[in-house]
Amino acid sequence: MKRLAAALVLVALLALGACPALASTPGTLLIWADEVRSQVLLDLARTFEAEYGIPVRVQEMGFGDIRDTLNVAAPAGEGPDILVGAHDWLGQLVTNGLLEPIQLGEKADAFLPTALEAWTYDGVLYGLPYATEAIGLFYNKALVPRAPATFEEMIELARAAADRSQGIYGYALPIPDPYHTFPLMSAQGGYVFGPTPEGGLDPLDIGLNTEGAVAGVELFDRLIEEGVLPVLDFATMEGLFVSHRLAFMQTGPWELATVRNAGIDYGFIPIPPINGQPARPFVGVQGFMISSFSANKLLAQAFLNEYIATTETMLRLFELDPRPPAYLPALERIDDPDMEAVAQAAAVGIPMPAIPQMAAVWTAWSDALTLVANQELEPKAALDDAVAQIRATIEASLNR
Amino acid sequence: MFVTQPARPGPRTAPGGRTRPWRWAVVALIDGLALWAALWLASTGAWLLLIILVAGAIGINVAFLSERAYPLRYLLPGLFFMFMMVVYPIVYTVYVAFTDYGTGHILTKAQAIRQFESRLYEPPGAPRFPFTAFQNDGGDLRFLIPWEDGRWILSEGDQFQPVDRDDPALIDADGDGVVDGLAGGYRALPTLGLMRHLHELQERVFHYDGVELRLASLTQFARLSPRYRYDPAADQLVDLETGTVYRPVNGYFTSEAGERLTPGFRSLVGWRNFTALLTNPRISGPFFRVFVWTFVWAFLSVASTFGLGFGLSLVLNDPRLPFRRVYRSLLILPYAFPAFISALIWRGLLNTEVGVINQVLRAVGLGGVPWLTDPLWAKVAVLLVNLWLGFPYMMLVTTGALQSIPDELYEAAYCDGATSWQQLRHITLPLLMVSVAPLLISSFAFNFNNFNVIYLVTQGRPPIPGAGTPAGATDILISYTYRLAFEGGSGTDYGLASAVAVVIFILIGTISYVNFRMTGVLERVGEHV
Amino acid sequence: MYKGRLTAFGQLWRHGLLLVAVLFALGPILWVISASFNPSNTIVGQSLIPANPTLAHYRQLFQDPRHPFHLWIWNSTKVAVIASTLTVALTALGAYAFSRFRFRGRRGGLFTLILIQMFPQMLAMVAIYLLLLQLGEVFPALGLNTHAGLIMVYLGGALGVNTWLMKGYFDTIPRSLEESAMMDGATPFQAFVRIIMPLVRPILIVVFMLSLIGCYSEYVLARIILQTTDQYTLPVGMQLFISDQYSSRWGIFAAGALLGALPIVIIFLVMQRQLVSGLTSGAVKE
Repeated sequence: MKRLAAALVLVALLALGACPALASTPGTLLIWADEVRSQVLLDLARTFEAEYGIPVRVQEMGFGDIRDTLNVAAPAGEGPDILVGAHDWLGQLVTNGLLEPIQLGEKADAFLPTALEAWTYDGVLYGLPYATEAIGLFYNKALVPRAPATFEEMIELARAAADRSQGIYGYALPIPDPYHTFPLMSAQGGYVFGPTPEGGLDPLDIGLNTEGAVAGVELFDRLIEEGVLPVLDFATMEGLFVSHRLAFMQTGPWELATVRNAGIDYGFIPIPPINGQPARPFVGVQGFMISSFSANKLLAQAFLNEYIATTETMLRLFELDPRPPAYLPALERIDDPDMEAVAQAAAVGIPMPAIPQMAAVWTAWSDALTLVANQELEPKAALDDAVAQIRATIEASLNR
Repeated sequence: MFVTQPARPGPRTAPGGRTRPWRWAVVALIDGLALWAALWLASTGAWLLLIILVAGAIGINVAFLSERAYPLRYLLPGLFFMFMMVVYPIVYTVYVAFTDYGTGHILTKAQAIRQFESRLYEPPGAPRFPFTAFQNDGGDLRFLIPWEDGRWILSEGDQFQPVDRDDPALIDADGDGVVDGLAGGYRALPTLGLMRHLHELQERVFHYDGVELRLASLTQFARLSPRYRYDPAADQLVDLETGTVYRPVNGYFTSEAGERLTPGFRSLVGWRNFTALLTNPRISGPFFRVFVWTFVWAFLSVASTFGLGFGLSLVLNDPRLPFRRVYRSLLILPYAFPAFISALIWRGLLNTEVGVINQVLRAVGLGGVPWLTDPLWAKVAVLLVNLWLGFPYMMLVTTGALQSIPDELYEAAYCDGATSWQQLRHITLPLLMVSVAPLLISSFAFNFNNFNVIYLVTQGRPPIPGAGTPAGATDILISYTYRLAFEGGSGTDYGLASAVAVVIFILIGTISYVNFRMTGVLERVGEHV
Repeated sequence: MYKGRLTAFGQLWRHGLLLVAVLFALGPILWVISASFNPSNTIVGQSLIPANPTLAHYRQLFQDPRHPFHLWIWNSTKVAVIASTLTVALTALGAYAFSRFRFRGRRGGLFTLILIQMFPQMLAMVAIYLLLLQLGEVFPALGLNTHAGLIMVYLGGALGVNTWLMKGYFDTIPRSLEESAMMDGATPFQAFVRIIMPLVRPILIVVFMLSLIGCYSEYVLARIILQTTDQYTLPVGMQLFISDQYSSRWGIFAAGALLGALPIVIIFLVMQRQLVSGLTSGAVKE
């Protein structure tokens, strides 16, 4: 019996087999993409391979894992040729020497200029952008009679729609979530990093406790105190909205699929102006990058230019993941009011800072929002604390 | 520690201690194989594996040739994997603690140099050259370029030569004025046809008239030449475009004027990470508070999981109780879910507004509890989640250990009229502790470093007002210090994170050693043979 | 210790206590079960018995060819069973040595075993990644993206607390048993395999279960070693469902978590009979 078990284990071990590890090898393209993108890329890979006899392999990974794994895998020679990600990874990846510049040639004119700008770091283009995103406002037409034109009107409508005794809420954004709260702060002049004369960002000019930023958080504080804005996390907010228990939900186009599938009669608009000033969300731009450790840089570049930067591919990507394409010929073909709203929101938005110092910002910022939401600190004091923490961290690293 | 004469007779060495001849043969054979493999590994440059191989071979030799090392024969298999997969990573981490490995310093110096040397430079304003590619049946490629001066040039190998427009080598079969073939069976390739040759072409350098030409894209050649050259003798990098010289300083190639080239590379920085850790006001400030909570957390985690787990296994150890197997199977269930999934589920349950727990509390007339936002309740919440995650482990372990307690002891105690409590107190617990105490100490150490539960449930929050540092109410030492390392001013700092790991290891190692001494576990190791 | 019959009160409090514990253990799991049948797919709108129960989430789990869920469960089970079997073997050998032999560095060695496991392992993955990378260049079957490589990594943790646990049990087995076997001409190793191993079955089962559960749900190392979805273990695969910060898949996630826990539960049910010592007391215990 024992011997049999041992033999079985041995056989099983041998049967484990060797599935070769994936790495960039000359003549074969390897792409790292997250779940949604990999669906489209797998089809493209098949056509590309059939046409040119060049194998293209798509490795599906978690979105954030793509960036984290690249840091270890690429220098070890185990990285991909092409990867899909967000423009705010640029600072870290470029500083680490992991990305290859991209040349779009004549096709550059076919891309949204702000999207190209977002993918430019230190004056060099590192990505082929394909979609932009920015948060806006969902509203449930069953609970709200009309789309508000101003933020103040939105609050009135939210107040009217809310009924706490029935578990119905008026207006929600995830708390604490700096990304979703930023439009309130930016509307009145708040910012994260100020510009340098060269057009980059100055990591020591932190605008999170400027007058405008404080005014935004004071508004946030007041709405919570008055009971208009409940303190919810993302999952709860989303759950309430799709179960008809929330009138306004402040979030981005990634929620469209969920909201549509839930059969909600909804509208999606840019966050309306606050005090007459546009509420400027962070703009994120998704795109394709080439690893500097790729053994197929020219091939990868040609693949992107000839196969990705086409109306057909861009529309396919759009179908699976509805965000406005950054490729103008594809954008023109889309007739979707939601996408127009996202594009409008992005048009007044501010690109998410891509410098590596952004890593020092999130926690301190989010802690400040928590303390304000829990009524433990006044907005000014909380933001001053946060900025002092951020500055100390960044200064310590710059002095090295 | 050096025991030559055991207290009792026992099989401490091999019977007779005779070295059998076949053992020599086997060891010799293994050594021969190892030598052959070592030479091969050395030739491929796999030094790490070579070291592991040599260490393993020495271990086998010692274990099988020395009778003194007889016990090593039993330990060797486990030790081999432990050294390879646990000890080596620790050594690596200690090494990283003395480097600046992190954002901006990910590459080794050699990798950085290779990257700089592969960077190409195109003179500003230099034209790019569209071309036509031709291929024959043998797969050979030639390129035809209209050159700047109006002439045409044609490649032969890596060399371009001028060619007349009416050269008979250029064939225009359909007479449309476009060259569509070359003598020798070459036919023009469509633009995209070049796709499958790109990976070969990207490494090739072509020459014409003293100019270096490289393929820049599917459709263009360009005057591209290397931007940097590394001089190993002087250990410096020269910018061939401007002539600037860069020398390695603090993990960057730096010019005289202080300009740094990106990317930087990994370099040794001595004790810098440790001094940064120990002198950082952001750490020393909240250190005491975080440290105390870390202790409380680890202690209460062990106490609660052991209390519940042991209590249940005691009750379930009673053979008179019906449905024991059913209970045991149900109680083990929390353990069957991967911890990260459970933690996320608990986050949902503890949600203040819509979480099930608060719904139940409200339904029975108690108010909702601010589980994740109130400092005290958040602590209760993480302890509760950890209890759920951890008690089945203790239940399993104590169930196993209870089996080893001889029934005779209870029989004797029973005859002497001892109560159940006295039996538990004087027989069960002391005997159980012999094998379980080390586990409790190691469980303490595990929870001391239990980053996952804290991070997945509260992320160390809620924040403490006016703390001036980003320490949260449920932050334990490791979650707090790792945050400093991974959310640093320049991104991720693996060097600092490794220093954190080393310091915490020293701390917890010392605490555990003291624990071992205090509980006398190590001393008892000797008795029970 | 367990003499006579349980009184009614004795039955009552024991079952009462156990039922409370079962409620605590199962509460969250019931919630998961209900969420897996609830069409809502979000955290809100969950109730103990969903209004319109649906199997949609389960169907979805098995229908997506890019996410071979059944393969993940199989991979996890395979890796965990093999790694745990070998762990038990390695640990039993080690614990036997510590229990039966006196040698220099014995106490120090035992302490070191446990100490080494206290190192915060969060950064070890970089080192392990590079090690497997090198290994894979020489032996492709043991490199990155192989289950054999992953099992080797898990075997690194075989010794350690397990050794203590097992040694404690070994210590209670009288030496006289092996000695009499050796009188009959058995080598110590034969005595160990034939006499001792059958006697310590309960602790072997405990270590096997501990290691099985540990390996089955491990994902930090598996995530960095396994690279293709067909090689993924269950936790790494499940990770794909939730890695997107802003997307809700509670339903699928819950269904996956439940099905994923099944193999462990089944193995435990099978093993449980062995967990409680079947030995006639007195015959082997001092």
